[in-house]
This record gives sequence, structure tokens and C-alpha cells, in this order.
Amino acid sequence: MATGLDLTGRVALVVGAGNAVGRAVAVALAEAGADVAAATVTPTTEQEFAANSVANEVWAVGRRNLALPLDVTDPESVRAGVERVAAELGRLDILVNNVDLPYYQPFTEIPREALSRVLAVNLEGVFLVTQEAGRRMLEAGWGRVINLVPLAGERGVVHGTAYGAAKAGVLNLTRSLALEWARRGVTVNAVGLGWTTGLPGPTDHPDRRAELERYLPARRLAEPGDFAGAVVYLASEAAAFMTGQVLNVEGGALSHV
Amino acid sequence: MILDRFRLDGRVAVVTGAGRGLGRAMALALAAAGADVVAAARTASQLEETAAAVQALGRRCLTVPTDVTRPDQVDRLVRTALAELGRIDVLVNNAGGGTAGMGKPIQEITDEEWRLGIDTNLSSVFYCCRAVVPHMQERRRGKIINVASGYGLRGGRHNYMYAAAKAAVVNITRSLALTLAGDNIQVTCIAPGFFPHSEQAGQRIRGGAYIPVGRPGRDEEIGPLAVYLASDASDHLTGETIVLDGGGLAGGVTPTGWAPRVALEG
Repeated sequence: MATGLDLTGRVALVVGAGNAVGRAVAVALAEAGADVAAATVTPTTEQEFAANSVANEVWAVGRRNLALPLDVTDPESVRAGVERVAAELGRLDILVNNVDLPYYQPFTEIPREALSRVLAVNLEGVFLVTQEAGRRMLEAGWGRVINLVPLAGERGVVHGTAYGAAKAGVLNLTRSLALEWARRGVTVNAVGLGWTTGLPGPTDHPDRRAELERYLPARRLAEPGDFAGAVVYLASEAAAFMTGQVLNVEGGALSHV
Repeated sequence: MILDRFRLDGRVAVVTGAGRGLGRAMALALAAAGADVVAAARTASQLEETAAAVQALGRRCLTVPTDVTRPDQVDRLVRTALAELGRIDVLVNNAGGGTAGMGKPIQEITDEEWRLGIDTNLSSVFYCCRAVVPHMQERRRGKIINVASGYGLRGGRHNYMYAAAKAAVVNITRSLALTLAGDNIQVTCIAPGFFPHSEQAGQRIRGGAYIPVGRPGRDEEIGPLAVYLASDASDHLTGETIVLDGGGLAGGVTPTGWAPRVALEG
């Protein structure tokens, strides 16, 4: 394709493919031509079921696919999972980290165990998966890492201390790693996610959602599909010169005072 | 003693827009810290009120009625200050505010309204810096404090001249800071949030419901920050914009008071 957006022949791993955003992104990557491995964040029955269903949707688009039970907090699971993608789909070009464990509580009420879990999944999970997948990208001399990061990583949100700290950590991991790999063919970027419908977490509550809708410049929350264009673009050859950036897709939320 | 480093005894500070609001508050704070003040604004009567308050603190205050959108008047301000007080240690570029055309739909804003908004909020800063910088370079010391706005860092509906000019003030701060760093001149910027008397036209007074701390700023709350930025205590700080807004820009992605609780899953 003249625009360089075609992903035919690429293999993408979407971690956290089972939630609404992950599903939309995985299907969009498939529609753009990529084969897709749909991985869980935690190998629960529910997440594995969702990953299977996303893999089926990828199949329906006509791409090779894989449903991958992954535990991002377990280095051995991550190592084996990435190896399985490469073995079954032949390579690994694109990693989408849609790793998300939402958690909002008053600061003084957050137990150490909850903090540890939130950081282990949201921050360390991205770190471990990217380390493992990135090694293969460096060997190939081409790769794309795309971290999906909600607004709580960019700005303060009440009760979002632990969660926001983890997400902000991913944003600066993105920038530092982009510099580290800038001359090695692997770009590292983030897509900033506006408040979104259809996800577990703070927007999964009608009153809170209505308040947000009144507040946001676009007067609506994002639909999961709103992020697909940004991810496909960043995954493609067209974005080869872009690295270390955060592409915020938030309906204008970050523009106003 | 650390607090001695905040003292401004013997210094001379030029403050534009000093006739009221944040400008007057900064002039008084600088005077309270020991500085003599050159107060500039268009309205002479307001300047006299500022001067009386500065003098009540035991400092000299020279008033120079000035329209900062006029480069000749700005040059005269600086010449007068140097002739009368012999030096300028601190320049506070505070003059600015809403102008005609603010709040209008973009297609209704005239060329003249656009130029006035840019002249008032941006060109004025340029004129004042251009006039003062050679003197500061000669003395190899100086502090320039620009005043921008939250609207210099974010947009506002129907807010064009003001928001564009204030954003430019944030960035001219950086360029000046880089250029003058070797001359021992520090250039910084204060971005105030909502101060009801600060003449940020187009804003409705909303009682602070949309401000995380729950209230608007009070004019006198900008004073200590201006003193710090004018003093030796901030000698390694340059090029930066400091936001003073009751927490507004730290958040801004949810309504104030929006406080979800979401338990851990899995």
C-alpha cells in the first residue's frame, strides 16, 4: 500500500486482547494484514475464554491466529508465551501491551499487597513482556512496541495513586526504551487512552460515566474502536521515524484547563 | 541563613500591570522583601494606590504610566527607571489580560482584535525584555519573571489571542533563558490559575467548584513565588514555567470530586 500502513506478513502479539480495547485493536491489526496472537494478562478462565474468542475473530478476518494464556507477572510464562508465538506464527514484529489491572482506592487504605499487585501487573508486566519480545525484534532489526496507557498515567485522578504511578511508569519506560533502541529498528510508542466505554474500572458505573460525559470536550467517552487507527499506524512502516511518543486519543480531554 | 537568600534589599524591580490585581500583589511582595519598585501600568490613579502601599512598606516606588503595547513607551519606562533608580535587577512582565474580541467565535474576530490581543499579551513581553536585557547583560545579573496563564498550557473555548499569546510567553521564556544563561540572567514564568481579580477575561467566577483545592487563588498568594523567583534563592532555576493553580493542571481529566473506587480483580 502506498501509505505504508499494510501489515501483511507481520505478526502481532496483543497482551490483554480480551478486554474491549484489546479486542478492537487485535481485530484492526488483523484487518490491516497482520497475524495476531491474542494473549491474556492473567490466565483466568474468563480471560482465556475472551482470548479464544478474539483469536476466532482474527480467524474470521482470514489471518493466522493464536490464543495465548499468559501471566505477565511470571517470567517463565512470558518467556514460554513469546517463544510459542514465534514458533507457531513464525516471527514477532509487533507487541501491543494492553496490560490493564484497574485499581482505585483512597491512598491511606491501600494495603502493601494491593500496591505490589498493581505495580506487578501494570508496570512490571509490561517490562517483562517487552524485554522478552524485544529481544526477538532486536535480532530481526525491526519491531514495534505499542503501550496502551490510560489518562490516569498522564494526569492525576483521585484514588488513582497506585494505578496512576504504574501507568506513568509505563509512559517513561516508553520514552527511555525508545531512546535505547532508536538506532536498532525498533520503535517504542504509547497510545494514550481517553476514558472508554465497555471496560471494567471507573467508567463501569452509570453515574460516574454520565458525569464524565458532561465533563469531556467531546461529550462522550471513547469507544474501544477509537484507538485502532493509532495502533495500526504506529505498528506500520509509515511510523518508522516516530519513537518515544505518546499519541493521545482522548477527544480533547488533555487540551483544556 | 536560608531566609536571607530570599531578601531583595537594595534591588530594583520593574513590574508591569502593577496598578491592580496580581501585578500590585507582586509589587508589594517584592517591596516587603526589600526591593524598590518601578510600577508601570496605563492608569495613573491605580499606580498611585500601588505606590502608596509600597511606600507604606518603607520602599521607594517610581510610577511610570505606560502602555506596554507601545515600544516607545516601554523604552521610556526603562530609561526612566535607570535614570531615577540607577539599576534594574528584576523585571516582572505581568501586564496583559483579556482584550476586545475575547470569547467571540473565531470567524467574528477582526484583524484589529487579533493584533490587540497578541500585542497586549505577547508583544508587550518582547518589548520589555528587549529594553531591559542589554542593561542586565552589562551588569551580568538579572531576573526576568513572565506571567502566563493556565491558558498558556491548555486551550479554552473561544480563547484565541489570549491562549496563543500566553503559550508564546511560556516558550519565549525558554528561549530567553537559554540565550541569557551565560550572562547570569534567569528567566522564569509563572502560570497562574484562576484568580478572580486577575482580569482573565472570558472566565466566569464559579466559586472554585472546578478547582481541586475548592477555591480560587487570592492575589497575595502569588507574592511569595515572585519573591523566590526574583531572589538569589532561585539562581539555578531558569527557563521553567511554574504553575500556581490550586491543583487544576495536575488533574483536569475528570470532574472535580470524581473519586471512583475500584477493587482488585483476579
